[in-house]
Amino acid sequence: MGNEADILRDPEFRKMLVHRSRWRWGLSGGLIGVYLAYCLVGVYFADAFGRPFLGSSIPWGIALGYLIIALSVGLSMLYIRVVGRMLATPFGERGSGQ
Amino acid sequence: MIGSGPNITAILIFVAFVAASLGITWWAAKRTHSTGDFYTAGGKITGMQNGFALAGDFMSAASFLGITGLIFIGGSDALLFVVGIVVSWAFILFAFADRMRNLGRYTFADVVAYRLQPERLRMLAAAGTLAVAIPYLIAQMVGAGSLIETLFGLPYFVAVLIVGGLMTIYVAFGGMLATTWVQVIKAVLLLAGVTALFVMAMAQFGFDIGAMFAKAAEVHPRGRLILQPGGLYDDPISVLSIALAFVCGTAGLPHILMRFFTVPDAATARRSIGYAVVFIGYFQALIVVVGFAAIALLVGQAEYVDESGRIAGAANMVSVYLARVVGGEIFYGLIAAVAFATILAVVAGILLSASAAVAHDLYAKVIRRGEISDQAEMIVSRAATVVLGAVTIGLSLWFRNINVGVLATIALAVAASVNFPVIFLALFWKNLTTRGAVAGGATGLIVVVVLIVLSPTVWVNALGNETAIYPYAYPTLFSVASAFFVTIVVSLTDRSDRASIDRAGYDAQVVRSELGGQI
Repeated sequence: MGNEADILRDPEFRKMLVHRSRWRWGLSGGLIGVYLAYCLVGVYFADAFGRPFLGSSIPWGIALGYLIIALSVGLSMLYIRVVGRMLATPFGERGSGQ
Repeated sequence: MIGSGPNITAILIFVAFVAASLGITWWAAKRTHSTGDFYTAGGKITGMQNGFALAGDFMSAASFLGITGLIFIGGSDALLFVVGIVVSWAFILFAFADRMRNLGRYTFADVVAYRLQPERLRMLAAAGTLAVAIPYLIAQMVGAGSLIETLFGLPYFVAVLIVGGLMTIYVAFGGMLATTWVQVIKAVLLLAGVTALFVMAMAQFGFDIGAMFAKAAEVHPRGRLILQPGGLYDDPISVLSIALAFVCGTAGLPHILMRFFTVPDAATARRSIGYAVVFIGYFQALIVVVGFAAIALLVGQAEYVDESGRIAGAANMVSVYLARVVGGEIFYGLIAAVAFATILAVVAGILLSASAAVAHDLYAKVIRRGEISDQAEMIVSRAATVVLGAVTIGLSLWFRNINVGVLATIALAVAASVNFPVIFLALFWKNLTTRGAVAGGATGLIVVVVLIVLSPTVWVNALGNETAIYPYAYPTLFSVASAFFVTIVVSLTDRSDRASIDRAGYDAQVVRSELGGQI
């Protein structure tokens, strides 16, 4: 393997960096944004969060909380798959060398 | 104490757990020959094992006993914590897993010291680790002492000595290998225990979750209000502070970050956090139902809850009382033993991270500047474990009446305000300099301590003042923001020679952090 400057200039490596950071910040920002929005809706529309969710006796706040938990798990699985596939390039990860 | 005399089931299961964990420690001790074995189990843990161990490290008594207690008092507000925890784990996966694994070796200090001035960053990271670990350890041990006193009828100091002694033995002899397996067993026990509690509680309502919520709202003194948020925190600053404490704080807990280094490569690190997200998400989803079921089944039973809604013993006894109501004495003993095993495993993980900070970061890398043999460092890390274990036992006996909630808040707030900003900026921001990192870390620490002292729990409840100067429970919104702000401003205005070395090192760090390996 060449030195860092060569790798850093390599268009394939740059492509991988951009691709990876898009997923990294897209998923992080999206999920944290959803969570913060959930928190603030809970503050300003507390009574709406207490109403029954779609005809059940489960409150809206708890049902939405469960959906965000499910979303976190789903996005984590997606990230692991996507990043794993992305590495099938000349720039696949190596072991830690320990 | 509830019930007639010590619970035999609890004692039997607990003794079996201790025997198994000591057996594992003996087995692990024979396989721990180097510092790599001691701190990271030689990097040979598999993805699924590490997933269980991560979940075990994180699912403390605070989440099992604390969250159900919180639901019992405040109802829906606990969702803020429950959801935040799962979101934070997904965030750790997206932002930290690959880069941390590829850059670090034993502690998160390796990562922040990669391109910055190593000695100063290691001192900062060690301070951040100890400022999280020691309050966290004391909080767990004081909680464990009171829990065991209630459940087993043992005096407080005996309980603290048992927990403190066992955690020191696991870590000092078995290192990361023993700690990991104790964590795995505990995670399996806890997940199974909570599942059983969930099923048995729901059976009381014919598995109709809606009927359970309806009953909880009917019997709770606050009525239907427990189904909506606002019972404990109704202002946006408190709520955002708690949200930030969980999202950033979890990603700054040293004993969690250390687990990245126990697996062979970045792909396994990602997979192991994937498992952890599933286990923790499952656990959090069940614990909400268990909390509300406890309201529905315990309120009105004079043995557990008095007329004003106060719980016998303490609020965090709710889960174990629920076990007794739905499953009788044997199940009660089982859940009590699981709770005890939970605390024991969590303190072992935290103690190991504190020992690594003292022996590896401070002694081997700062005081000896890396000029130390592997064998000598092993001796130092074992000695550090014993000393830190003894100090924690002493502090837990001394501070028996301390407010456990304040200590846990300090630990999480320090992780969010000192460790998280420096790791995040070191990984992703080229312009971070040594001076900026140190100034920002110090700012985060000072703001956390000052705001907690001025907050209602300390300023009003402990110091007896009329009104709190800082009216919110958590300091994180301001402490995280000020740590980031100071780090960025100081880094941008830093014209020192070291600053140019710090910035110049970023490109090489990016390559290594994305690809791993030794280039």
